[in-house]
Amino acid sequence: MDTPELNDYRAHLLDALDDQPRRAAEERPVFLQVLVNHERVGSINCAEPNPAFACTTKDRSIQHLEIRSESGVLLGGCVAPEAGQRNLRLPVGKGSLILSVQNHFDGGSLQLRYEGAPGWWSQVASAIGLPAGAPSTAAPKVPVWTMTTAFAQIVLAVGVVALLAERVPNWLGSEDRAHQVEEEMAARQSTQDQIDQVHRQLAQLVEAQSAAMAVSRGEQDRIAQLNTLVDTVARTQQKLSSQVVAVQEDLKTVKTDVAQEVQSGMRVAVSAVEADRDMVRQDLQSIKSVNETLIKQVALLESRNRELHARLALTSLEVAKANAAAPKPTVVAKNDPPKDTPVATAVPVSDAIREADRQAFMFWVAFQDGTTEKSIEELVQEINGIKKGPMKSGWYSVEVNLPHPEPPDRFLESVKRAKIVKSVVTSKAMPPAQ
Amino acid sequence: MTSKMPDGKAMRDGQIFSARLNNVVTTEREFDELVTKSLPELLDRATSQTKRFLRETNQWGDDITHEKLALRWGYELVERFVVFGRTEVPCRPFFLLDSLIAKSFSQPDPLCYHKELLTPVGRFLDGLASRAVVSRDALIALFYHFYGFSQAHVVKLLGFGQAESQRVYKNFERWRQSGWQRTMNETGLSLSEIEVLEQELRARPDHLNNEVDRLMPVLQSHYRKSEPEHYPCLSEQKWGQLFHDDYGHDYRVWHLAFCRDCFMEVADHRQAELSNGSKPQVNLHIHPLKKGGVLALFGGDRGGRQHGHTRAQRLSRTSA
Ligand SMILES: [Zn+2]
Ligand SMILES: [Zn+2]
Repeated sequence: MDTPELNDYRAHLLDALDDQPRRAAEERPVFLQVLVNHERVGSINCAEPNPAFACTTKDRSIQHLEIRSESGVLLGGCVAPEAGQRNLRLPVGKGSLILSVQNHFDGGSLQLRYEGAPGWWSQVASAIGLPAGAPSTAAPKVPVWTMTTAFAQIVLAVGVVALLAERVPNWLGSEDRAHQVEEEMAARQSTQDQIDQVHRQLAQLVEAQSAAMAVSRGEQDRIAQLNTLVDTVARTQQKLSSQVVAVQEDLKTVKTDVAQEVQSGMRVAVSAVEADRDMVRQDLQSIKSVNETLIKQVALLESRNRELHARLALTSLEVAKANAAAPKPTVVAKNDPPKDTPVATAVPVSDAIREADRQAFMFWVAFQDGTTEKSIEELVQEINGIKKGPMKSGWYSVEVNLPHPEPPDRFLESVKRAKIVKSVVTSKAMPPAQ
Repeated sequence: MTSKMPDGKAMRDGQIFSARLNNVVTTEREFDELVTKSLPELLDRATSQTKRFLRETNQWGDDITHEKLALRWGYELVERFVVFGRTEVPCRPFFLLDSLIAKSFSQPDPLCYHKELLTPVGRFLDGLASRAVVSRDALIALFYHFYGFSQAHVVKLLGFGQAESQRVYKNFERWRQSGWQRTMNETGLSLSEIEVLEQELRARPDHLNNEVDRLMPVLQSHYRKSEPEHYPCLSEQKWGQLFHDDYGHDYRVWHLAFCRDCFMEVADHRQAELSNGSKPQVNLHIHPLKKGGVLALFGGDRGGRQHGHTRAQRLSRTSA
């Protein structure tokens, strides 16, 4: 559709976008509004001494953070990873806002601090390289930042698994999935810890390097140490990958577009992570001579990370759409389900699987001579079975519903141990020959 | 949307930007420069993805209202992208935009879409409320647009002291100077649409106010989720206590602006306490309170007369 009115509106919006940086620069920050995931959570009064703000969210991590002026002008903000940390220093007015987001998958916490314009001394001090005031933990120096991104791939792969962990139980609805997910979470945590450790050491290494400008024995030791650490990460990663494969196997039974999307996204993520990890390892080995190369490398990795991230996000869009169209959405759209929507494909699939989970199991049983009808009834009741049809040449056909994890063999063994039971056989339709 | 770029040269430039938006941008400065040049492309991309989302969730209709909605939401997405993106370099801008959009749409109830809100008055109210989520100026102005409360009424209703009432006056002032116009522009309400609304309000005030009364719950139930989760409706007694013990100032602003029922209760109670006022009621105002409205503080009902509504006059008198 192309009408003058619409074009006019579009032109207005483009002007507003064009004007945005100027409006943001003109704002003198007094009250800053803080919005998390598009919901207002509070404000900071920058006129007060030591303005700061903190909050935590439950259920959902802090994904979008916006800082707006009293009149609603967007002054700054960022997106944060679904799990992990994000630290930033946003210029706001003449000062800056130091923010730190710490996310886990079911919630997050946010800390904000506003620093007014620095005085002349701290500017001079920073110009000549002296530490001015207390060094802030929330704003490390540049090399650390670029290093951090190098490991984002690993975190991303873990993120994919976590995404699955959220969705898969909805599709499969079985308990051992939940157990597997727990293991994955545990693996993720340990990977994360190791990554953090590598971060710290890398950061130290880079700083030491630029300061000393020389190769020392101690650095070589540290590099060796780093290499072993990276190896450990790699091993954990492999373990994680095998679990990912297991998840993939499960997914194969779910023949929906969503599953395929997630599967392919996951494969890409996992293989990319493996490739990227090797690159990082190589970079580590040459770090002494080619610091510059590493930084470029990291930028590349970062862009690849964006690709993966976008793909991941698009996948979640597919999921979102499937859910928005479902009559009883589970993941998104808690309120206002759209009316008259077609039934989503995911619903019958998950039902079918749940149906299959309760294995109906049939077997034939013969009893000792002289066993009364009553004790036969009691046994059948005890195992929650149903007698199917009349006795045929000494054999009763019994059907039971086994809970999913219970193997039929073990169950039959326990039936055999009953005193009145002479013999137990599994055969599809006919009673066994006498 | 090709009418923006009628000549071949501009088209070629557009294609060059497209390619660059797919490539890695490594510095903040590079990002800013590229984005400034490619705003039309970014807006169109975000708009078409919004359309796709609306279509696939059965929330689409082939008319200008829907086209405008998609543009408006596309605009809001690009606005965030422009600001967030600078903190994400190095990145590929198009990928980043896509992921931001996908993330936004995977949130619960991402857009306020209700058939009842597609009328001019519905779009007007929706524009105000969605702005009020991000702007305190707009939030305070809701008291005027919904109920005809001037700044003096608002200060009294909320039980604010000196410093806070200064803030309310500033909110009104900024809203009058630029906030309202910007909100109308960004909502896509044209001058003629606003004029038609104003005429209808003059001709059949009760009809339009009833319509507002009917739409408010729809609107507020969507946008009220924007308040912190620990801000529920309170009983009359609890509200009384909150004012008496003088706490929860932020709470008062947020909840009362976005909850008609609580507003009615508190306004009724406080007017009875502060003056011999009549029952509060929905009293739509299209334009912001004019500057003369300040006089309401000192000069009785003059503020109300500024906008020519008998209802406004009656309410103004209660605060004098
Ligand atoms: Zn809604
Ligand atoms: Zn309420």
